[in-house]
Formats: sequence, C-alpha cells, structure tokens
Amino acid sequence: MSEPIRILFVDDEERILRSLALQFRREYEVLTESDPRRALERLKSENVQIIVSDQRMPQMSGAELLAQAREIAPDTLRILLTGYSDLDAAVEALNSGGIFRYLTKPWDQQEMAFTLRQAAQIAARQLHAPKVSAAIPQAALNVLLLDEDAPTLAVVAEFCVAGGHRLLRAASLSEAVALLNSQPIDLLVSDLQVAGEDTAPLLKSLAQAHPRLLSLVVTPFCDTQALLKLINEAQIFRYLPKPIRRGLFDKGLLAAAEQAQIWRAQPAQVVTRLAQQPREERDREKVGSLLGMLGRLRERLIA
Amino acid sequence: MTTASALTRLLKPVTPLAADMSIADVADRLLTPEHKAFLSLPIVDNAGRPLGLVSRSTLQDIFMQRFGRDLRGRHAVQEVMNPAPLVVSLETSLEDAAKQITGQLQYPITEDFILVDDQGLYRGLGTVLDLLKAMEARIAQRNLVLRKALVELKESQTQLVQSEKMASLGQMVAGVAHELNTPLGYVKNNVQLLRELSAPLFELAEAQAVLGDCLNDPTCDEARLAMALDTAAEARVKAAPELLVDDFTQLFSDTLYGLEQIAELVVGLKDFARLDRAMSEEVDLNECIRSALVIARNGIKDKAETILQLGELPRIPCAPSQINQVLLNLLNNAAQAIDGFGQILVKTWADDSAVFVSVQDSGRGMPAEVLARIFDPFFTTKPVGQGTGLGLSISYKIIQDHGGQIRAASEPGRGTRFLIRLPRPQALPLQRSA
Repeated sequence: MSEPIRILFVDDEERILRSLALQFRREYEVLTESDPRRALERLKSENVQIIVSDQRMPQMSGAELLAQAREIAPDTLRILLTGYSDLDAAVEALNSGGIFRYLTKPWDQQEMAFTLRQAAQIAARQLHAPKVSAAIPQAALNVLLLDEDAPTLAVVAEFCVAGGHRLLRAASLSEAVALLNSQPIDLLVSDLQVAGEDTAPLLKSLAQAHPRLLSLVVTPFCDTQALLKLINEAQIFRYLPKPIRRGLFDKGLLAAAEQAQIWRAQPAQVVTRLAQQPREERDREKVGSLLGMLGRLRERLIA
Repeated sequence: MTTASALTRLLKPVTPLAADMSIADVADRLLTPEHKAFLSLPIVDNAGRPLGLVSRSTLQDIFMQRFGRDLRGRHAVQEVMNPAPLVVSLETSLEDAAKQITGQLQYPITEDFILVDDQGLYRGLGTVLDLLKAMEARIAQRNLVLRKALVELKESQTQLVQSEKMASLGQMVAGVAHELNTPLGYVKNNVQLLRELSAPLFELAEAQAVLGDCLNDPTCDEARLAMALDTAAEARVKAAPELLVDDFTQLFSDTLYGLEQIAELVVGLKDFARLDRAMSEEVDLNECIRSALVIARNGIKDKAETILQLGELPRIPCAPSQINQVLLNLLNNAAQAIDGFGQILVKTWADDSAVFVSVQDSGRGMPAEVLARIFDPFFTTKPVGQGTGLGLSISYKIIQDHGGQIRAASEPGRGTRFLIRLPRPQALPLQRSA
C-alpha cells in the first residue's frame, strides 16, 4: 500500500489514547486528541481514514462528534469505543454518525486489531477508487418490506410512490428469502420479529451475502446488546424505534436511497460495508444456513 | 344490608300497650321481670301505629304524690304518655339512628325509643344503652380496620423507600461499573502490550547469555563466537531496549494509575454504602461530599463542571450512608437539570449552631408550582419509568430525622439551589469554658 492509513483516536482519558497509540503505531499512522473539538478541527485540515471515539466526554458526546465528523469527512470510517451501554447513544451514533462498529471497553486487543484491519482495508479500497461524478442517476430502486404493521407500510408505500421505487412485501422469512433470490433488492425495511420469527439472522446473512443492500430496522424492542450486534454483525443502516416517528423514518429512507444510488454508480469493490462474523455459535449456525438459502443470490453476485 | 340489620339487632319485641289501659295496670306491667330492662313502654293504636311512650319515671312521679295511685291509677295511660316519643325506622343506619337519638334525647334519659318498619308500624323497642354498645362495637371494629390499614400503609411505605434505595443503589452500581471500564480498558491493554514488548527483551537476554558463555569458554571457537555475536546484535536491534525505556516507564505508570483509579472507585463504593457503621458517629460532611462525588462522577462529567468550595466543618453525629444518599440524589438531580454543559457548585460552611451544605446547578430551574411540590412523595417531572418521585421526599425525611432542614430555591432558566442545614450538637460546657 502506498499511502499509510491514518487513524484518529479521541478520548478524554489520555491514558486510553497512549495505550491505543502504542498498540497501533507500528501498523498505522496514529493521531490522538483528548478534546473532541480539536479532533473536528483536525479533520478539516488533515486526511483521516478511520476515527475511533469515546462516547462520554465533557465537551461533546462521541455520537455527536461522529455525526459532525461525517459532515466534514464523509468517507472516514467511524467507530465508537465506549464503556457505557447506552441505547440512546448507540442509536444516535448509528443514525446520525453512521458508525461502522460499536466497540466496548475494556476492549479485546485482538478484536480491536481485527476491526481496525477491516476498516483499513475498506479505507484503502476507497483511496484507490475513482471518484464518482457529481451527477448520480436517479434510478428506481427495489424496496423489500418485511413488517406487517400498517404505519410502517403507509410510510414506505408513500416513499416508494414519491421516489418511483418498486415496493415488494414479504410476510415471513421464507417469503423474504424467495424474493431476495429472485429480485435484486436495494433497500430492506424490517422489524426484528416477523410472523414470530427473529429476522436478525437474515439481516446478518444479507450483510455478508449482499453488502450493497441497505437494511433499516424498525422495531419496538430496545436492547443495547441486540443493537450492538446489529451494528457490528448486520451492518444495519438505520435503527428506528416503534412507534415510528414520521420525520426520522422519511429521512432514513431518503438517505438510504441516496446511498444505494451512489453505490449503483460505483464499481462493486468500493462498498464500505463489511460485517463481523456473529460471535455466538447459535447465531453463526443460523446465519450459515440462511447463507445457504441465499446461495443463488451469491452465485449471481459472483457472476 | 348490614346497616339495616344493625338496628334489627337492637330490636326488643315488647308487647305494646293499648291507649285506654289504666295507669295502674301499666305500672304492674313495668314491675314484671321481662320489662325490668326498659325505661318506658310503647303505646300503639289499633292499626299498630305508635302513639307514644309512657315512662317509668312519669309513673313514679305520679305515685310519689300523696294518693297518687289511688287518684289517677284508673285513668287511661294515654293521659300521661309522651305523645312525641323517639321513633326510629328499622331502615335507618346505626350512625344516623345515633345522630337522631342523641339529637332529640334530653337529660335525664327517661325513655327508650320506638322502632318502626318502613310502613311506620310498631315493631319493638330499642334502649339507648344497647345503641351505645352497638356504636362502641362499631367504632372498635372501625379502629381495627384503620389500624390494619395503617400497618399496611407503613409496610408499603417502607417497601417503597427500600425500592427507591435499591433503584438508586442499582443506578449507582451500574454507573460505577461503567466507570471502571475506562481504567480497565487501558490497564488490560497495557499489560498485554507489556507482555508483547518484553518478549524480545527476553530473547535479547538469552542471546547475550549465550554470548557471555562463549566468551567465558576457552574452548569456544571463532565461528561459534561470531554466531553468538551476530545473534546478540540481531536480538539487540530487534528489542531496541533504549527505545523501550520510555514506553515501559509510561506504560507502568499509566497502569499503576489505572489500578489506583479502580481501587479508588471500589473504596468509594464501600465508603458510600457504609453499611458497617452505625448512626451517630462523628462525621465530616466534606468527606461525604467527596465520596458522593466519586460515585456520581460518571453521571456528571459529561453534563457539568463541579466546583467545590468546602469550608472547614466540625464533625457532627449523623448516619453517613443516609446523608450520602441525600447528597447523591441532589448531585444526580443537578446533573439531570442541566441541558448541554453547565456547572454544579457545592459549598459547605458552619456557624455556631449548624453545618450547611449548598448544592447549586446552572440548569433549567423550576417554576414555582413545581418547586412547591418537589418534596411531595411520587411527584416527578421525569418520564414514567425514569424516576420514582421518591428521591427528594426521602431526602427530606432523612434530613428531618436528623433534626435538620432542606430547602430549595429555583429560577427557571437560571438554575436551582438546595440548602441543607444540619444542627450541631449543643456545645458542651467543657468546650465553652475552654
């Protein structure tokens, strides 16, 4: 690799920064900031590929920092590293900060190294990818809805009509898999429970089999651990709490459509989604069997 | 149902008298054993409607006059009866009956009361004494129910106070557990780094030992020596001990610092709970504030800067774990009242009679109608599930139990200030003379 990958660590505890810098200085160009405001200043003038931030800091929260970092340098991969399990922070970091991973303190050295390596690979591919021209064609997208709730349907249907997208509906996991195998799907809007089945394994499988598909999770459940897995292992695009809030949902759908259209215009290798393998044995099995069911899809992607 | 039967139970089915019965016959009847318990006898008409009561005392008054019985004994009882006696419907409740009777009865009590059915027909007599007994039984029963309710209320209050305590304890423990993750994070990483970084040093030591052996060994040939020298030089380059010194120093000092942080948090938790110590020891409130701040730090640090202006305080007797609970409650409330980033000012001072703690925040503040209710049990402005509404009412109770006062002043948009006053024990004569 010609250019070294630059990582910016932000944490109000200097000892965390020193420890991380010492761990990664040999592989990457490591920058550290204990004040998130200075970190933002730095992003304006310096090229940084990966930013890893703490959540609770006196000047601003990590989620806030990452949301602003996204405005300043949208290509930067953003990772939250926090000792607090705080659902609101995780939701904000995902929805506004578009985070790549949510890591917890104390971190596992190997896992952290692996995550940064994955991020660095994506960053390296991005560096060498040709820039997309400003005009992105407004292509019609295929939207798959995996949720029986009327309010969700109403919002998604209206969005599809307004944007000229095609709306497909599935009432169960097997129907969804059949549709995914027969059609190219761009956006998936799904609850975590559909017809009594857990959809998380499908979301995780799709992140691996179909990294260009964007999933928006609409759910009444609020469990930080579950969300953390959905971020890391399913690379979901948005997490929207039920009862749905119209404005937030619309914004999420529009952002997803825009992202999908950008990706359509780009060559396949620049996609910035890369999911972690599920950590639990049971999850891995389920995802494995679903990946088998999604086999035809994979074949088509490879072809 | 029960009230209707209450009067029925008082009913004595006394045979009524006819209006034309002679006074002498009535007197004879009053003397019979079955009528001994009555002060009066009822007189009814042919249809069974009560006409009046003739009382024992009226007859006695007549008979006490000279020739009274002879002169008037043959007269109809109607002439001497009370034509407006107390008539109570059996439908009446015990309480209403008591009200009606005590309202109309005159001293001395010379008559009973007539009980009638819903048609107004005579059914029997009731005595005032029986009514009193029934009322007393009723009141005793009521008292029993009230006492039971009071006991239950006290129990559920204790439970609520306990659950509020557990909730704040749980919050605190979760907060501290999270707080531990930061030092744990770098301590763990540092130890792993130290292990990785020290591995080449061991290799270097090993290579240098081999070289040393070679140099000390007269039989060592040049080729072996050259190889040992090479290996040692290589290991030296790889380990770069001179570059490691600074890293090691830093890693060790950070790690020790982190372990101290962890120890401080654990000691803070222990100090905070202070379950092992009893009430009424000599306590420095400044210490309580410091240990509450260690615990509250994680909830505060991203909301506010804490400024301490702690004056010198005399030790006072109190229950430190309770005072800590109050302080933690005030600090957490202060942090939660702040939008964005603000300030929490904690001040302490003392005068001759008391010790004062003031906790002031630069938060939202409260309108007067909210301020007036903040110490009320169950009053909360937080969303359902986020506050029991008991924190401040328990704080109020704790300070009150200590013989002190807690007051709040607030201005919307400017912030809120809580002031605690805890009395000093009365100065001993010894101290005064000194």
